[in-house]
Amino acid sequence: MTRISFQTEFRHALADIERTAADLMRRQREVSSGRRLQAPSDDPTAAAGAVTEHAAIGALDRYAQAASSVEARLRLVDTVLGDIIEQLTQAQAVATGALGDTPTPAQREAAAMELAAIRDALFGDLNTSFRGVYVFAGTASTTAPFVRNADGTVSAYQGNSSTIAVDIDRGREAQVTFDGGALVQGGDPQDVFQIIETLRADVLAGDTPAIEQGIAALKRVFDRAVQLQSEVGADQKALETGAIRLTSEKLAARSRLSKLEDANMAEAISAMSRAETAYNAALGAAARLTRPSLMDYLK
Amino acid sequence: MSGLFGMLSVAARSLEAQRFGLDVVGQNIANVNTAGYSRRTVDFAALPPTSPLNAGGGVEVQGVRAIRDALLDRRLWQERPAAAMQGAIADALSIVEVALGDPGASLDAALTEFFDAWGRLSEDPTSTTARQQVILKGEALATSFADMTGRLTLAQRDTDTRIRGVVDQINALASEIASLNESIAKGVAMGTDVQVLRDRQGEAIKSLSELVAVDVIAREDGGYDVTFGLGRPLVIGASDFQITATPVGPSGLVTLSANGVDVGGEITSGVLGGLLQVRDTLIPGYISRLDEIAYAVATEVNTRHQAAFDANGAAGLAFFDPPAATAGAAAALAVNAVVAADPALVAAAATPDPGDNSAARDLAALRDSRVMFGGTATLHEAWGRLVYQAGTDTQVARQEERTRREIVMQVEALRDSVSGVSLDEEAAGLIRFQRAYEANARFFTTVDSVLQTLLTMVGR
Repeated sequence: MTRISFQTEFRHALADIERTAADLMRRQREVSSGRRLQAPSDDPTAAAGAVTEHAAIGALDRYAQAASSVEARLRLVDTVLGDIIEQLTQAQAVATGALGDTPTPAQREAAAMELAAIRDALFGDLNTSFRGVYVFAGTASTTAPFVRNADGTVSAYQGNSSTIAVDIDRGREAQVTFDGGALVQGGDPQDVFQIIETLRADVLAGDTPAIEQGIAALKRVFDRAVQLQSEVGADQKALETGAIRLTSEKLAARSRLSKLEDANMAEAISAMSRAETAYNAALGAAARLTRPSLMDYLK
Repeated sequence: MSGLFGMLSVAARSLEAQRFGLDVVGQNIANVNTAGYSRRTVDFAALPPTSPLNAGGGVEVQGVRAIRDALLDRRLWQERPAAAMQGAIADALSIVEVALGDPGASLDAALTEFFDAWGRLSEDPTSTTARQQVILKGEALATSFADMTGRLTLAQRDTDTRIRGVVDQINALASEIASLNESIAKGVAMGTDVQVLRDRQGEAIKSLSELVAVDVIAREDGGYDVTFGLGRPLVIGASDFQITATPVGPSGLVTLSANGVDVGGEITSGVLGGLLQVRDTLIPGYISRLDEIAYAVATEVNTRHQAAFDANGAAGLAFFDPPAATAGAAAALAVNAVVAADPALVAAAATPDPGDNSAARDLAALRDSRVMFGGTATLHEAWGRLVYQAGTDTQVARQEERTRREIVMQVEALRDSVSGVSLDEEAAGLIRFQRAYEANARFFTTVDSVLQTLLTMVGR
C-alpha cells in the first residue's frame, strides 16, 4: 500500500498550479497580443518561416515602390512621345503644304518659321528630365542629350546607346531611360534636327524633290517614335498587371505570415478559457489539502 | 507483595514507553515541512518474565528508526541532474531568444532595408541622397550585426557568471557533506543518534545532485564519498576537494579545474553541465552562424562593389571593411570609412558611365541570391535558420525538462511514500499512544488499589 505523505500532496499540488498558471499566462498573452508566436521556441519552424515571409514582403514592397516610380516616369515619357509624334505630324503637314509651285515666298517663309518652332518644341521634348534624369540620354542621364548651338541649330546626340532599366519584380525589368540617338536618327544619315534644318532650306528654295525626301525622312522618325510609344505603352500595361500581381502576392505572403505569427482568436480564447478552468481546478484541488483529516476528530 | 510492586514498575515503564511514542509522533508532526526529514518510528519490545509466577516485565523502548530507502534516495540523486540540466539550458536560452528579436524586426529587417537602399539607388543611380541612404543602411546593418553579437556575448558572460555561482554552491555543499561525514562518523562511533545528521546529509546530496551529476558511495563509518565527472573526488570522508573556477584569456570566461586538472569537458549534466553547454557550445554556435552571415554579406557585397564603378567613373572600393576571417566577422562588420565619407564612391554602375545602374540592381538582387551554405540559402534564410536553431534548442530543452521533472516527481513521490510524514498516520499514532497511556494509567491505579486492599488487611 502506498503511503501518501503531506509533502507529496503539497509538491504535486504546487507543480500542478505552476504548470497550469504558466499555461494560462501564455494563453492570456496570446489573446492580449494577438500573436501566437511569442518566442521562436513556441514554434521554431513558424519562426523561421516568418523570417522568410517578412523578407518576401519586404522585397515585394520594394518592387511595388519601384514599379510605382517607373510608372510615373513612363507616363511622362508616353506624354512626351505623344507630343513628339504630334510635332512630327505637324512638320510633315507643313512640309507637304510647301510642295509644288503654289505656295508664295511669304507662305514658304511662314512654313520655314513653323518648322523652326517645331524643331524647338522637339528640342524641348527630347531634353525632358524626370527628377534630374534626362530620359532620352541613355545612361548619360545627367547630360542633356541635345544642346543648342550658337546659330540656333541643335547639336548632335550627346547621350549614349545604353539604357537604364529598373527591376519591377523578380526577373522583370522596365526601361526608364531611352536612346535618344536611335529615336531621332536611327539608321538615317541625318537626325531629326538636321532633317528639319535641311527641310527648312528646301522649303524656302521650293525644291519639291528635296522636300519630298525630307518628308520621307520625317516619316521614318515618326514611325520610330510611334514604335517607341507603343513599347512604352506595353511596359505601362505590364506595370499595371504587375502591380495587381504584386498586390496579390503580398496579400498571400501576409496571409501566410498571419497563419505563422498571429493567434486564431476563437481558438486562442477557447484555449485560454480551458487553461483558466484548469488553473482554477488546480487551485481548488490545492485548497482541498486542508481537507478533513483524522486530526479534526481528536478531542 | 513483591509481585504487586513489580507490576507497578511494569506500569511505570509502560507509561514511559507510551509517552516516548507520543514524543516521536510530535517530532514527526513538527517536521512535516522539513526538507529531507525522514519519518521516525519507535520500536517497542516486550520484556520476558523473570519467574514462573510473573507474566512479563512489560515493555521497553528499543530505539527510534528513521525510515529510509537507500535505493530510492540513490535513484533521486541520479534523476535530478538531467532534469536540472535541461531546465538550466532552457532558462539560459530564453534570454538568447529575446536577444534574437522578433521575425521581421531584427537583423532581417536591417538586411531588407540595406537591399532596399540599393534598389532605390538603382532607380536613381546619380542621386546623392540615394547613395547616402545606401551608406546609412550599410552602417545600420553593420550595427545590427555588432549589437546582435554583443547581446549573444553578453548572454554568454551572464551564463559564465551563473557558472561561477553554481561552482561556489557546489563547493559549499561539498564542505557541508564532508563536515557531516565527520560528525556522523563520530556519532556512530560514540553510539549517539545521527538520524538528524543523515537527513541533512541526504538533503545536501540532493541539492548537490541538482547542480552536478555525482556518484555517491556509502562509507563504512556511515558517511558518503562523492565523486563527479570521470571519478573526480569531491568529498572523501571528512575532506572536500573544491572545484576551481579560473578566468582565462581575453574573454575572461572561467575554466573549471579540480586538483589542477581541467574538468569542464567532464561535466555533462546538472545545472552546471547545462550552463557549460550553453556557454561553450550553443551560444558560440549561434555567434559562429552570425559570423558566417556577416562574412557572406561583406564578401558578396564587396565582390560586386569592387567590380562596379563609382559616380566618378572609377573602380569601386570595398564597400565593407574586408573581414580577415569568418570568426569575428559580425562584430567587425563596418562600412569602409573612405566610402562612408564620400557618397560618390558608392559604386552603382557596371560601366564607368555614372548613369548606369546595373551594379546597384545586382546588389539589390543579392537579397534573393543563394549565397549561404554552399548556395542553398539566401542571407535572410540563413538568419531564419539561426532563429530556428535557437528556437528548437530551447523547445527541446523545455520538453526534455518537463519529461525529466515528471520522472523526478514520481521518484520523489515514491521516496515520500516511504520516508515522508503522513498527518493521518501521525494522528492515528496520537490516538494509539494516548489510549495505551490511559490504559496503562488505569492498570497502575488498579494495582495501587489492590495494594491498598492488601495493606488494609495487613493493618488489621
